[in-house]
Amino acid sequence: MGSPFDINGGACVAMVGKDCVAIACDLRLGMQALTISNNFPKIFNFAPSTYLGLTGLATDVNTVSDLFRYKVNMYRLREERHISPQTLANLVSSSLYEKRFGPFFVSPVLAGINQTTGKPFICGFDSIGCIDFAKDFIVSGTASDQLFGTCEGLWEPDLGAEDLFETISQALLSAVDRDALSGWGAQVYIIEKDKVTQRLLKGRQD
Amino acid sequence: MPGFDFSNYNRNAALHARGVPLPKATSTGTTIVGCIYDNGVVNCEKLHYIAPKIWCAGAGTAADTEFTTALISSNVELHSLSTGRDPRVITCMTMLKQHLFRYQGHIGAYLVVAGVDPTGVGLYTVHAHGSTDKLPYVTMGSGSLAAMSVFESMWQPDLNKEGAIALCAEAIKAGIFNDLGSGSNVDVCVIEKDKPTQLLRNYEKPNERGQKERNYRFPRGTTAWLNQKVISKEDMKKYVTIETLSGDDNLAAGEKMEVDV
Amino acid sequence: MADRYSFSLTTFSPSGKLVQIEYALNAVNQGVTALGIKATNGIVLATEKKSSSPLIDPPSLSKISLITPDIGMVYAGMGPDYRVLVDKARKVSHTGYKRIYNEYPPTRILVQDVARVVQEATQSGGVRPYGVSLLVAGWDEGVEPEAADMKKDGGDSPAKPAGKTGGILKGGPSLYQVDPSGSYYPWKATAIGKHATSAKTFLEKRYTEGLELEDAIHIALLTLKETIEGEMNGDTIEIGIVGPPADHLLGYEGVEGAQGPRFRKLTKEQIEDYLTNL
Repeated sequence: MGSPFDINGGACVAMVGKDCVAIACDLRLGMQALTISNNFPKIFNFAPSTYLGLTGLATDVNTVSDLFRYKVNMYRLREERHISPQTLANLVSSSLYEKRFGPFFVSPVLAGINQTTGKPFICGFDSIGCIDFAKDFIVSGTASDQLFGTCEGLWEPDLGAEDLFETISQALLSAVDRDALSGWGAQVYIIEKDKVTQRLLKGRQD
Repeated sequence: MPGFDFSNYNRNAALHARGVPLPKATSTGTTIVGCIYDNGVVNCEKLHYIAPKIWCAGAGTAADTEFTTALISSNVELHSLSTGRDPRVITCMTMLKQHLFRYQGHIGAYLVVAGVDPTGVGLYTVHAHGSTDKLPYVTMGSGSLAAMSVFESMWQPDLNKEGAIALCAEAIKAGIFNDLGSGSNVDVCVIEKDKPTQLLRNYEKPNERGQKERNYRFPRGTTAWLNQKVISKEDMKKYVTIETLSGDDNLAAGEKMEVDV
Repeated sequence: MADRYSFSLTTFSPSGKLVQIEYALNAVNQGVTALGIKATNGIVLATEKKSSSPLIDPPSLSKISLITPDIGMVYAGMGPDYRVLVDKARKVSHTGYKRIYNEYPPTRILVQDVARVVQEATQSGGVRPYGVSLLVAGWDEGVEPEAADMKKDGGDSPAKPAGKTGGILKGGPSLYQVDPSGSYYPWKATAIGKHATSAKTFLEKRYTEGLELEDAIHIALLTLKETIEGEMNGDTIEIGIVGPPADHLLGYEGVEGAQGPRFRKLTKEQIEDYLTNL
């Protein structure tokens, strides 16, 4: 049997722009080569303008997103405020590392804008919580090799919200077309300081 | 933190028994070095804070170096607060080795611990299995052999600060260029007695990325989308909201529960 | 300890009081006075350092403690109980917060955690309540009260009451009192211990809105002067302040975003400087 990260398939990518960030994922859920669903979003909202993408084993994507929904809700009740992207990054990191010797098979990607500082923030994690802080882009999932290529080629600094949408969408669509385990539609979130635009992309359904 | 959660262990072991490979953790292919000079110590690459005058360079499993140093830093800080003294390098090294030995090498942290304390200068390496070395110059990580070759040929017993920094940077570069795994730039940390520790991030950048010759910006409207939803500032905050109700005494009954004499 | 019973020593009296807690408060009210004043740009904590004998070595005595780099604490009541609480407060700020979020807890969260420890001692078996009241002073990074008000006035969104679960981190100074019952109160200025009542009356007269830290230190010393029994000098009083970040106390340079501790204790010399200008 293949790696647990490759059973269900899926891809996720986050990018930094000028005063904005974007995060996008595909919509496929599969069992090895068989596609089960074309409506399995992998991005979850945890605070205003803070989103977490989860690729990997689908059962763990569900478990981990539920776990963080619980943890972030408890945080909000205790602290009477929303969690910042940086704080959420550290919470994700320490929660995954707690399971160092029995990890969840997920590769999270976080994107958001810090509401106090107004600064964009993205980062990625390995399955045991090591944070990868990046100034440009983060990729994860079965199409991560392809995404590295498309992002490396298409990304440039200081893209505005609309240009960032085109860049992240084309990077994702091109990458998933070269991966048999991801694709079947895509979802993109463009996050600005006080507005989030969610778009459903027209992607190949084969 | 001292307690790991093994709740997924059996599931993952069962999957592994059916031929599923174990997940790969990000392993830092890296070169880390340290070197003592007349009254201080230099420490290079992938630096972690332990205390103001004790810093750690980490190689091996990235998450393990990050969390092991953070845990020991936390315990060192609490210990320093309760004793009212500056922490010692040997204390920190001992805490690290005892922690790593307890986990029998399963925590894959390979560290160079360097610092200055009231007893003098300290420079140690700590291996994932818990063994330690105390030497005037040390290297670790996948580029350690390349780096050590620089130390072995160029190290002298009476180095000054500038000489030590240059030598460490040279050793790191040997790792960067001769070891495929090792990264791209040099971070340096200089720890001296009675002076604030100096962190020189990107002390050298021998692998600067070239400017892109052309941009591949797509014209707006290239991407076809089926529908969109705009979440405004007001909508973003709509989770549970609690609003204070006005002056009716009956509503404040909950407040009366608190008995303060 | 399954082989031994341990009953709670704190039980209700028929009139609905927990007399053990009242006794603990009596212990607090016999303790040396401690006070705290919140200013716009910081907080001051002050207390008398009373030694029962001239043979005592004063520098080894310390009643004001750093809990996190931005939070400090002082007490009135039983010294040994206080030391236990300081250790627990420091520990919980790491285990319950820093090791999870990689940042120190905001003041209110730390106060709640300490108050929980104190409350548990009033309901657990085999233990007695803590014989101390605490003053906890801290600074939180985030939007400071003035700036928050400006936002409300100038913002284009309709002004609505600040939702308790909404909003961002409310920054700025805060001063809390924690009692042996486990209840806690936020204050602009307050005092605990033997002369708390008279000190509070004095503070009520002296306190003004928009106070600056230097004025607050001045008022703290004046208040202490009203109640102090012995001589006032750098050895007999202790002052802790929450002020601007003291980057020279950080101990390292070159880390992006790192800032020095806001809480620090004044040295003997600094206290004497303030006393000569009184």
